[in-house]
Amino acid sequence: MVTIADYKGKVKPDWCPGCGNFAQLSAISAALADLGIEPKDAVVSSGIGCSSNLPEFINLYGFHGIHGRSLPVASAIKWANEKLTVLAYGGDGDGFFEGTQHFYHTAKRNVDITYIVSDNQIFGLTTGQASPTSQLGMKTKSTPEGNIEKPLNPLTIALTAGATFVARAFSGDALHLREVIKRGIKHKGFSFIDVFSPCVTYNKINTYDFFRQRVYKPETDVKDFDKAYKLAQEWGDKIPIGVFYEVEAKRYEDYDPVISSMPLIEKPPVKLTSEALAEFL
Amino acid sequence: MKTEEVVIRVGGAAGDGVQSAGLIIAKTFSRSGLHVNTYNYYQSIIRGGQSWYQVRASDSKVRSQGDGLDILIALNKDSLERHTNPMINEGGASPLGKDGVAIFDQSIKDFKKEDCQYVQMPLGDLASKYSKNALMKNTVAIGAAMASIGVNFEILAGVIRDQFGSKGSVAEENVKAAKEGYDNYLANFKKLPISLKTKDKKYYLISGGESLALGAVNAGLKMYVGYPMTPASSALHYLANHQKDFDIFVKIPEDEISAINMAIGANYAGVRAMTGSSGGGFSLMVEALGMAGMMEVPLVVYESQRAGPSTGLPTKTEQGDLNLVLGASQGDFGRIILAPRNVEDAFYLTREAFNLAEKYQTPVIVMSDLFVAEHYETVEQFDLNFKIERGKITDKAVQGYKRYQYTDDGVSERSFPGTPGNMHNEDSDEHNEFGDVVSDAITDPGLRVESMKKRMKKLNNYIKEMPPTPTYRFDGAEIALVQWGGTQGVVEEVVDILREKGHKVGLVEINRPYPLNPDIGKLLSGKKKIVVIENNYSGQMNKLLRSEFLVKTDLITKFDGESFYPGALAEEVEAILKR
Repeated sequence: MVTIADYKGKVKPDWCPGCGNFAQLSAISAALADLGIEPKDAVVSSGIGCSSNLPEFINLYGFHGIHGRSLPVASAIKWANEKLTVLAYGGDGDGFFEGTQHFYHTAKRNVDITYIVSDNQIFGLTTGQASPTSQLGMKTKSTPEGNIEKPLNPLTIALTAGATFVARAFSGDALHLREVIKRGIKHKGFSFIDVFSPCVTYNKINTYDFFRQRVYKPETDVKDFDKAYKLAQEWGDKIPIGVFYEVEAKRYEDYDPVISSMPLIEKPPVKLTSEALAEFL
Repeated sequence: MKTEEVVIRVGGAAGDGVQSAGLIIAKTFSRSGLHVNTYNYYQSIIRGGQSWYQVRASDSKVRSQGDGLDILIALNKDSLERHTNPMINEGGASPLGKDGVAIFDQSIKDFKKEDCQYVQMPLGDLASKYSKNALMKNTVAIGAAMASIGVNFEILAGVIRDQFGSKGSVAEENVKAAKEGYDNYLANFKKLPISLKTKDKKYYLISGGESLALGAVNAGLKMYVGYPMTPASSALHYLANHQKDFDIFVKIPEDEISAINMAIGANYAGVRAMTGSSGGGFSLMVEALGMAGMMEVPLVVYESQRAGPSTGLPTKTEQGDLNLVLGASQGDFGRIILAPRNVEDAFYLTREAFNLAEKYQTPVIVMSDLFVAEHYETVEQFDLNFKIERGKITDKAVQGYKRYQYTDDGVSERSFPGTPGNMHNEDSDEHNEFGDVVSDAITDPGLRVESMKKRMKKLNNYIKEMPPTPTYRFDGAEIALVQWGGTQGVVEEVVDILREKGHKVGLVEINRPYPLNPDIGKLLSGKKKIVVIENNYSGQMNKLLRSEFLVKTDLITKFDGESFYPGALAEEVEAILKR
């Protein structure tokens, strides 16, 4: 039996005390264990940022790459070896600034990976600049007069791009977070989970209290795109969390003529014969 | 006019079928057991403009597109005047010689006359007997051209049937149209004094892009991810067309950054993967290239140069990316750069690149250029026997597994996801032997030094095991010419020209630009003159050679977007020798 202890990394996380990332590290470890996935079969690909350091602190196959690029790496790992459970992980700066085009296109392709974003609405590792999800008016090191860019909405982007699983969770609700991640990993296709993850050092607005006062778990029909899209736009005194959208659809891997038959890694190298080159004669 | 070789040029606008006409001619020669080299002069335009395709054939090895022009097939008036003009301005191409023939449709009138043979034929009328398709007149012209030098019609007919075979009756209509042209020429015009000794031998007629792709397939390529960009696309197209035959996953992702990260992800997961682009796309890949170096993920990148900077000349050749590739990405890490000298080299070097990448767990960049990638030439059939060597990999659980264990050769055992017991982190941050980061909470300057040394010493063995640098007619050479990559053929031809004139020149051919083989220093030492020849403005290889070997050199460059031509280049070298 796989337990959460099997996922415990030997390096202690160096996040600030109280950081929302701790809850996600636990929830990811617990979700993988709950699903009976062995650490040897799990991969986390990440970018750069506080949250992206997660592969260093968990016992599985970790790939801590470069800023914004966790998704192409994760996609290719899945395409290379479909038997693996592949997660991509990182922050809002990583995923929604430099990684935006990968986010959109990976969702559109419906690659069978789970993308979890630790969304703290600020740049943490670079010591507090406005991020793509920072609120209007927020004063940061890069916006001393207040942020004048509207925050983008990762959920509506995921939905319009074609993600087949779209959810939101909150680091302050660990059990719910764990269940949402579990459901996302189980989902066949691209799962996107945006996690409110308070940055206790640099974001004094979107705190644990801010979210505790606002989050609620609506009843919804997860197969209804319009309802999901509507929920995704709710923001204010009440902010919904939970699975907004979950539909079955063919994955990229099911369409591709080469990998639909057998994982690439199991295919022997093709024996190139002179008959194959006859067209050049 | 040389009698033992022929140079044929087809000129017209984009969309006129210039290239396909050229390829039919080239294939007819290659099936006649002749050596062929081709040259594709075109623009970044889908319809219109002015393009041409040159085919040079001989019964002995053809090393370049060559000088002179024996037969011009002009598909419009502009081409007719352009290629007969003694002041031709096409990057070094010769105008039609005075004994040469210009074949064109009789509807082209009022053109400027030059000193050459005009073969005005009813190309369109003859073609219209078989088809309303305007391109059919090209086939008639090809028939006429083949008749002018006595090529066996049946070989041409076979090529046409293969070319149009899938299009039903179109193939036979084209064969008949070609025969009309063939017979009409013989009945009305004089044959050229060219006699090519055909033989019953089969060469491949293949482009560098295709050859490179096949080399990758032969090396066990499983995934090719690339964004379209001329001139890297010929490899992409070949692989995409054959993905089912070769069981290869082929993908165009959202951008080149994604492409290289995908290739790295697949290699990390244990699958041989490759990405490719031209300089613009490669520039976008630069950051990830360094990640592969740091994480020691094997990677093969195909970098196909075209004339820069920036968008530059999208359909023109250059060797201006050496500095880019040499310096791509921050920090120091070992990289291997290979540069095929010709179409055949593209096959063998690319194949080797995959073994090198896994053996040394580092990026290998195969640098080609538009000329190599897109021109067709005849090559001997490839030797397809190849031993795939995947380097140090373990699929067993290793107690206390260290992904980056310090070893004598700097290379440590990889273990792919899915392997029991060897879970670990691979990191773009500086890390210790386990892959644990040593850049954040705790920094360790001593360990940093050890990790750098580990990575940097990996190529020591490669340098020791490199094959000797190829040379041409180097015995007794007092003057060394040096070329790299795709200029090999034309520079060899220049060596022949200069040797004929009594100059004691020999050639050093660099197809492994980095790290450079130390034997080059020995080859160059004591030479009266060293002349470096490159298709770029600043002499990027010249600078590298000077700094690596502290040699005094002369430099010849060409950066008009076109390849060197043997006659003109020989004159430039001679001018330097006279100084």
